[in-house]
Amino acid sequence: MRSRIAALWLLCALVAMAIAVLALPGRSYSSQDREQPLAGASAQHPAGTDGLGRDRMVRVAAAFLLSLTGAILASAATTLAAAGVGTLSAFGPAMLGRLAMLVCDVFLALPWLFLLMMVRSALPLTTSPAHSAAVTFLVLAALGWPACARAVYRGAQELRNADWMLQARAGGLRGSQIVRHVLPNLKPLLTPQFLICIPAFIIAEANLGALGMGIGEPLPSWGGMLLELDNSAMLLRTAWVYLPIGLLILILLLLEAIAVEV
Amino acid sequence: MQVSRFAIPLVAAALIALSATACIGQAAPRLPGELAWTIGYDPKTFDPAKVDDQESELVRYLTAGVLLRFNRSTQKVESQLAESWSLSADGRTVAFKLRTGLAFSDGSGLTAKDAAWSIRRVLLPATGAPVAEEFLSAAGVTVETPDERTVIVHLPQRVIGIGKVFDEIAIEPAERASEGRVTAGPFVVADYRRSQYVRLRRNPHYSEPDSKGAGLPYAAGIRLDILDNHEQEIRLFERGEYDVIDSLPPDYFGLLKQKIPNAVRDLGPSLNTEQMWFNQSPGAPLPQWEEAWFQSQAFRVAISRAIHRADLARIAYEGHATPAYSFISPADCAWYNQAITVPHEDVPAAKAALARAGFRLNGAVLEDAAGHAVKFSILTNEGNAARFKMATLIQEDLKAIGIQVTVVALDFPALIERLMHTQDYEACLLGLENVDPDPNAMMNVWLSSSPNHQWNPSEKTPATAWEAEIDRAMNVQAGSLKDAERKRAVDRVQQIVADQQPFIYLVYPNALYAVSPKLEGVQPAVLEPGLVWNIEKLRLEGTR
Repeated sequence: MRSRIAALWLLCALVAMAIAVLALPGRSYSSQDREQPLAGASAQHPAGTDGLGRDRMVRVAAAFLLSLTGAILASAATTLAAAGVGTLSAFGPAMLGRLAMLVCDVFLALPWLFLLMMVRSALPLTTSPAHSAAVTFLVLAALGWPACARAVYRGAQELRNADWMLQARAGGLRGSQIVRHVLPNLKPLLTPQFLICIPAFIIAEANLGALGMGIGEPLPSWGGMLLELDNSAMLLRTAWVYLPIGLLILILLLLEAIAVEV
Repeated sequence: MQVSRFAIPLVAAALIALSATACIGQAAPRLPGELAWTIGYDPKTFDPAKVDDQESELVRYLTAGVLLRFNRSTQKVESQLAESWSLSADGRTVAFKLRTGLAFSDGSGLTAKDAAWSIRRVLLPATGAPVAEEFLSAAGVTVETPDERTVIVHLPQRVIGIGKVFDEIAIEPAERASEGRVTAGPFVVADYRRSQYVRLRRNPHYSEPDSKGAGLPYAAGIRLDILDNHEQEIRLFERGEYDVIDSLPPDYFGLLKQKIPNAVRDLGPSLNTEQMWFNQSPGAPLPQWEEAWFQSQAFRVAISRAIHRADLARIAYEGHATPAYSFISPADCAWYNQAITVPHEDVPAAKAALARAGFRLNGAVLEDAAGHAVKFSILTNEGNAARFKMATLIQEDLKAIGIQVTVVALDFPALIERLMHTQDYEACLLGLENVDPDPNAMMNVWLSSSPNHQWNPSEKTPATAWEAEIDRAMNVQAGSLKDAERKRAVDRVQQIVADQQPFIYLVYPNALYAVSPKLEGVQPAVLEPGLVWNIEKLRLEGTR
C-alpha cells in the first residue's frame, strides 16, 4: 500500500512538472530553433533539442500529458463499455450472454495491432494531428473492451447467483435498482481493469508511433520520439535522446505499481 | 488486454535493445581478393537485356561487355569492345569496328555476329528490353555485319546520345543468352542466394589490360550482400567486412567521419533532385477550390518563396545538400543555367502575392476568396528521414503564411497507388534520381503526354500554354543536330519551370560515399555507379 501511494505521488509530481514545463512562456512543442538542431543541454533548452531544433523537454512533457490523458480517457471508455456489456450479458437472457461472449472471443482473436494500423491508414490524409491522436485512442478503446468485458461477465454472473441477489430479485427489485446495487459490487473488478488498461494503451500508442502510424507531426508522441533510437548516429551525438524511453519506462513502472496494489 | 506485472517495462526495454542490436549481423565469409558491398534488394533479373531496376543494372554494369562505355568521370563515351566507332553526319548510321581477339568468359570467340544478335535481341518486342525505348522507334532499326569485326546499325531517326545507349547493351554469345554467366565484361555471375548475396567471379578471358599490360580486373571477385539496413551496413563497413558504401545517408556521414576520417567522401551536389509538387490533375478527387489553388501560378510561386531551402539543406541533410531551384543540378556543368531568374525565399513577397491572388489572412489562418481555409497534406515515402524532416520544416515554414499542412508518410506501394492510379493526394514530396546528365533523358518527365508528368499525368493535349511551350522546347532539343540550339531550348525549359513552379525544387542532395582505406584505385564520380564505375581497376591493398 505504501509503495502504491509513493508511486501515485511520484506520478502526480511528474504530471505537475510536465504542466509547469508547458506553462512556461515562449515554450511550444512545435517551434523549431533552426540554429540549434540536436543541441545539448543549455539554459534555453534544458534537455537539448531534437533533429529539427525543437525543445526536447517540452516535447517529452507534451507527449507524456497527451499520452496519459488519452490513455486514461480510453481506459475509462473501455471499462464503461466492458461494465455495460458484462452486466447486461450476465443479467440478460442466457442467449444474449453467450452471443456477447462469442463476440468478445472473436475480438480477442483478432490481430489488434494490424487492425489499429488498418484503421489509422484509412483516415483521410488531411486528418489534423489532434484528430489523429483522438482517433488513435478511440480505436484503442474500441478494441480494448472484450478482455475486460469477459472478466466483468464472470463477476456479474457470480453476483447474479449470490444469495442476497436472489433474495432481492425474489423481493421484486426492478432492473434499474439491480444495476444500482450491482455496479458498486463490481468496483473491485472494474478498478484494476481500468488501471491495467492505462499502461497497456500507452504502450500500444508508442508501438503505433514507432511504426509511423501514430499521432501526426508536429504533435509529440512517445512512438515518434522513440523512432530517434533507431539511428545510431543520433545515439552517439546526444545522450538526451534516451530521455523519452527512460521516462516512458518510469511512467509504466509507476502505473504498474499503482495497478498491482489495488 | 491484460498485462503481467513486468510485461510493459520489458516491452519498453526491448525497444531499446532492438535499436541497439539492430546492428548485429554477420556477412558471408569473404574469398581471397574479393571485394564486397551491399545492394538493397534482390536483383529482379540477371538477363542484361531485361534490366529494369537499380540493382539488376549494377550487376549488368559489373558483368556486361559493351561496345561503348560512358565514362562516369569524364562523362564521355569511350570504346570498350569496339576498337573504334563512328556516327554518320545525319546521325542515323552507327558503325563499330570490334577489337581483335575478343572472347567470352567461357573462352569462345566474340565476333560481330554476337554483337548484332545482342543488339537485335534488345530491339525485339518479345524481349521487353527497356533500353529499346531509347531507340525511339525500335522496330525500324536494322543491324548488319559486313564482316567478322564490323557492326553497322541503321536508325530510322536520329537519337540524342546514341553512344550512351550502347553502354546499356550487353554483348552476349549469339543464341546463348546466359543471364550473366557467360559475359565479355570483367566479371560473371557465379552464385546467387536469394535474400543473401550475389557472387561475381573474375572473367579470366577479359581482354582489356591495364596501362602496364597486367590483366584486368584486379579483384578476384565481388560479393554483393543483399541488405536493406544502413545501421548494419555501416557497422559491417567499420569492421572491414564491406569496402564501399554507396549513397551514404547524411546523418551517418558525420558518425563515420568521426570513426574513420579518411573513409568518407562528399563530392558535392549530385545530379539528383528533391522536389514537391501539387496535384493539378483535373481528374483528381479534390474539391474544386483546392484544384483552383494548385492550378494557380501565384499560389505555387508563393509557396516556393515561403520555403527556406537553406534550412532544408542544413538541417534535413546536415549540410550535405545544396538549395535547388532547377531540375538541372550544378554538377551538370554543360546544361545547368545560372542565368535563370528564380523565386528566391521572400516571405513578405509570398504574402503579397497571395493577397493579390485573392487570398487573405483571417487571424492566423489563410483563406481563399470564398473563405475556405488553406490547408493540404504533403505525402512522402516512409523510411526516408531526410524527406520527412524536410516536410516537417516546410510545415513550419508554411504555418508562417497561415497555411496548415499535414505531413503523411506512406509506404512506397501505397504512395505509388495514389500518385499513378487514384491521384488521391494534394501535394507530394519525393526525389528524382538522374543517371544521365543529358536533359533528353528527362523527356518522360517533361512531355505533357507522359504518364510520369507528375503534376498532371498523360495529358491528351497540353493543359496550359506554358506546358505546350515546354513540349515544343523539349522536342527541339531532342531533334536538333546543333548543340547550341539544344542548349537554348533546355535553358528555356528551365526558365519556364522556374516561373511556373510545377515542381518546387528543394535541394540537390550531395553525393556521399564511404570507401575503405584499404581499397585502391577508387575515383568517385557523381554518376551511378559512383564508386565502382572503374571496377576493373579496384583492388584491396596487398592483393594481386
